[in-house]
Amino acid sequence: MFDTVLIANRGEIALRILRACRGLGLQTVVAHSEADREASYVAQADQALCIGPSAPGQSYLNQSAILFAAEVSGAQAIHPGYGFLSENAGFAARVEQAGLVFIGPSAACIRTMGDKVSAKRAMRKAGVPCVPGPDEALPQDPAAVQAIAREIGYPVIVKAAGGGGGRGMRVVHDAAALLDAMALTREEARQAFGNPEVYIEKFLLHPRHVEIQVLADSHGNAVWLGSRDCSLQRRHQKVIEEAPAPGIDEALMAEVGERCAAACRQIGYCGVGTFEFLYEKGAFYFIEMNTRLQVEHPVTEMTAGIDIVQQQLRMARGERLSLVQHELRCQGHAIECRINAENPETFAPSPGRITGWQVPGGFGVRVDSHANAGYRVPPYYDSMIAKLIVHGSTRADALDRMRLALAEMRIDGIATNVPLHRELLRDEGFAAGGVDIHHLERWLQQRSAA
Amino acid sequence: MKQEQIKTLIDALAASDLAELEYSEDGSTLRLVKQSALAAAPAARRPTAARKAPAAVSAEPALPAAAAAECLAPLYGVVHLQPAPDEPPFVQPGQAVEAGQMLCVIEAMKMFNEVRADAAATVQAVLVHSGQEVDAGQPLFRFG
Repeated sequence: MFDTVLIANRGEIALRILRACRGLGLQTVVAHSEADREASYVAQADQALCIGPSAPGQSYLNQSAILFAAEVSGAQAIHPGYGFLSENAGFAARVEQAGLVFIGPSAACIRTMGDKVSAKRAMRKAGVPCVPGPDEALPQDPAAVQAIAREIGYPVIVKAAGGGGGRGMRVVHDAAALLDAMALTREEARQAFGNPEVYIEKFLLHPRHVEIQVLADSHGNAVWLGSRDCSLQRRHQKVIEEAPAPGIDEALMAEVGERCAAACRQIGYCGVGTFEFLYEKGAFYFIEMNTRLQVEHPVTEMTAGIDIVQQQLRMARGERLSLVQHELRCQGHAIECRINAENPETFAPSPGRITGWQVPGGFGVRVDSHANAGYRVPPYYDSMIAKLIVHGSTRADALDRMRLALAEMRIDGIATNVPLHRELLRDEGFAAGGVDIHHLERWLQQRSAA
Repeated sequence: MKQEQIKTLIDALAASDLAELEYSEDGSTLRLVKQSALAAAPAARRPTAARKAPAAVSAEPALPAAAAAECLAPLYGVVHLQPAPDEPPFVQPGQAVEAGQMLCVIEAMKMFNEVRADAAATVQAVLVHSGQEVDAGQPLFRFG
């Protein structure tokens, strides 16, 4: 069993993992790039190793460098965080081959879920509700493709099997446009994902994005920890998340949650994971599974009262799941705002030196961030610099707390999207709850038209 | 639902500023959605290779046209002087450039920001090298 964890990631999640390791008495090794050398969490680790230049391809995506860092530091386990190598089955396999523990599911599970067609097939088999459409790649024969689309009914969406996270898909409104759209998506998928396979599904017009957090051990046990609503998105990037998903029948949610846990048992899943669904008119439709820790995990931590990252580490250490489904409760409501270094009007990135850093606090307020006054946000990575999370006894209570927290928050020296969040928290649609995944884009269009 | 009734509803939707219309009668439901509303749905984005991604932000002219002695970096980031590693640079010393011509790209947080010439000029010197980190306001090119 491991006692030293190499953290192969950066920013707030590197700090989050470091804290979870400390809580369990584990030693930490942070593998960092040249750009992150001065970050405060690097100094907090028991060991820090520079694994390469600033560009992600030469550091956080450099598998050999990370494996070598584990070897020289004596780490027996690697935590990939989110993004970078977290859903790379080849890397998970290399970690296992090196005799180390990959903190995540097996390479086989990552591979199955990484292919959207095989994931859909596995989910149907496990009784998880999916979007109408075949769980097979589209055939070459144009007539057969037309027949499949006709049976589903337009509009349909053509998706790349190797895609995900909103990439590699195209909406088709009528039969005339189908074959061209399929050919284009196939070609894009070949270039972007190295896999030209595409499949089609019914295109839902006004769905919400609702997801289920699961936790599974390596002894065949699995539970679901609650739901999240992440419908507020811009260009498929989540902006605000909350737990639980508001206004959904509890019995239905429990049934879907239980099916997700059952699917984990069936595919031999281990660790934390998220089943993402579209939700429309009282029905759930599986879209993909994230086989890793997610950015928005804190809202579930707040409502379930569980340290998800500590649980993830325990599962990777081979411990038995100590949580029992019928004892899990969802307490109150939690909301997370992703704070990005970007212009709140134009969304232009805004890396640079933070000169002033005043974060909110008090009862029910949590800030997960690696930044501080004097920190220079590097231009090489994602623009997220903090997560502001609040917990309230009800959704209305949480909304009020978030408004106050955002009013208190001040970041100087760079532009951030804090002003955008302040505006969004005043939006009636969001305040009412249950908006669809196009709500934010529509809201932005109206704002720019005004 | 009768065909004439559906036709009436289509005309009503077309004449209105609504994006869609749902109508139920005797247990059957008709949903009409305008093409323009569907086109606005953001799902149909094309995956483009990162290096070829169009600029998310057009750089503001660094200097007024009359005094265009230098081109300054509009933001902090990594400068790229050529469109791809194995391709020739956008501009070279001694080259005449037109107003609006691409000079370089500054990469910041996965976004590529085009830097374009503010006015017609001749590039005298390139003051940075490809892959270098540049600060906002740092001179990139000197014009003759």
